[in-house]
Amino acid sequence: MSKPVEVDIALGILDHQLVDSEGVNCGKVDDLELTGLDGGSPEVAEIIVGGNAWRSRGLLGRLAAHLSGDAVHVPWSEVESVSSVVKLKRPAAELRLNRGDPRWARLVERVPGS
Amino acid sequence: MSLKNVLAVALGILSAIGGFVDIGDLVFNTQAGATFGYQLLWVVVVGVIGIIVYSEMCGRVAAVAKRPVFDLVRERAGFGAGLGTLIASQVVNLMTCAAEVGGVAICLQLLSGLPYRLLIPLAVAALALACWVLPFEWIERVFGYLGLGLLVFAVAAIKLHPDWGRVAHGFVPGHHVGGSLMVYLYFVVGLLGAAMTPYEVYFYSSGAVEDGWGLEELGLNKVTSMIGYGLGGFLSFALMIVAGTLFLPQNIDPQFLGTPPLASADALGQVGLLLALVGILFAVGGAAIETCFSGAYNTAQFFGWRWGKREGHAAASRFTLAWVVIFALAFLVVMTGYDPVKLTEYSVIFSVVALPLTYLPILLIANDRTYMGSNVNGKLANVLGVVYFVVIIAIALAAIPLMLLTNGGQG
Repeated sequence: MSKPVEVDIALGILDHQLVDSEGVNCGKVDDLELTGLDGGSPEVAEIIVGGNAWRSRGLLGRLAAHLSGDAVHVPWSEVESVSSVVKLKRPAAELRLNRGDPRWARLVERVPGS
Repeated sequence: MSLKNVLAVALGILSAIGGFVDIGDLVFNTQAGATFGYQLLWVVVVGVIGIIVYSEMCGRVAAVAKRPVFDLVRERAGFGAGLGTLIASQVVNLMTCAAEVGGVAICLQLLSGLPYRLLIPLAVAALALACWVLPFEWIERVFGYLGLGLLVFAVAAIKLHPDWGRVAHGFVPGHHVGGSLMVYLYFVVGLLGAAMTPYEVYFYSSGAVEDGWGLEELGLNKVTSMIGYGLGGFLSFALMIVAGTLFLPQNIDPQFLGTPPLASADALGQVGLLLALVGILFAVGGAAIETCFSGAYNTAQFFGWRWGKREGHAAASRFTLAWVVIFALAFLVVMTGYDPVKLTEYSVIFSVVALPLTYLPILLIANDRTYMGSNVNGKLANVLGVVYFVVIIAIALAAIPLMLLTNGGQG
């Protein structure tokens, strides 16, 4: 096991960039689900990305959540490492992340020279 | 340093000089010169040091931690305040982009004699095409180098034989002569805002990440920000000196973008006029691209999308659509026929209000060892960073009241 490093969840993980195993940006840590807060040992269970993950993030977050779809849940076991970014173990598509770019790519590809 | 590196640094500096001046600097420096002569030159010095301090900081963060400005805003301000900052900065970026596009159309009109309204779609199409086909470094360089045509204003400033004693006096803050105190303060805020526009740091830091900066670029970052922006500031001096020498005595109010080039024509004839127009065309065109891309960078960075020209248009499709949509919206704003010079004044004043939320996360992260390791801010960067942050808060609070009280500097 590697040396334990102290990370502040609010400053060091929440709102940080998610990067997949191929180094591609794939969303932000929009919210975190914690378990074991009722007496057990607290643990980060999931990273919640996009859509209604913003519900808990203030007035503007609630508004933004209304306008977008479901959040994607990524189990913490998929996390490779935490630095200034949160690096994941697998490509984004396998975790259902980054689906927006392929969707809009069909439109962009119609333009010559893209 | 090898010859190749020296060349790269020199080229970077040249494009930073050409890229420093945008429509905000053109409008505020010439109007300040036409109203107060050389008395506000010191403000340009203060503004240029401010942009150097913060662009060096965000360039260093980009090189060390590979994080552009809006990642930092999101990480330190959180979702709610971050989204608020994003919306405010998008409104300002869009206004600025529209003003720059209008400026491009005016230059094309002065060069070709064709109607302004016809040239707006042409200007937007040409800018969008440049963004679509040119690689990132070519966009920076083409517009940066041709923007160097603005150096003609430095030559004009010398040829107009200003009273150099009074010019030197303008670098010392003090009592002002002529005009009301409120208008004087309005120009102080406007000149600082024009020199320290937030999009410059958005674009500078995102560009550094696009260019793949690492630790070995820390020196390049220092040199580009200090010398590039420092020399860019000379162009601002030149504009103010020219306006103070030529427009103030004759009571000319440069309400049109076509007025400053006439000063160059007065000193240097037709060649001067042509160089000034080409310089303004590319300086303002480059700034249109920078503001438009800044808007797309910010959105993509806030939501964590793929971004950047290197990613390819289709792979980073949301980023691509973001800048296309911003150009389209800017086009619609300019087509309303609203005066680009007025739009510039509003965009600069509103951008001042958005400054604190942009600069604070940069200052915080540049001091954070988990991001920066041993490359955290030194004493000088921190003292200047904090002093400028206080200045920014003060001008952010004063900006809109001053604009209303002075009716946009009209007194």
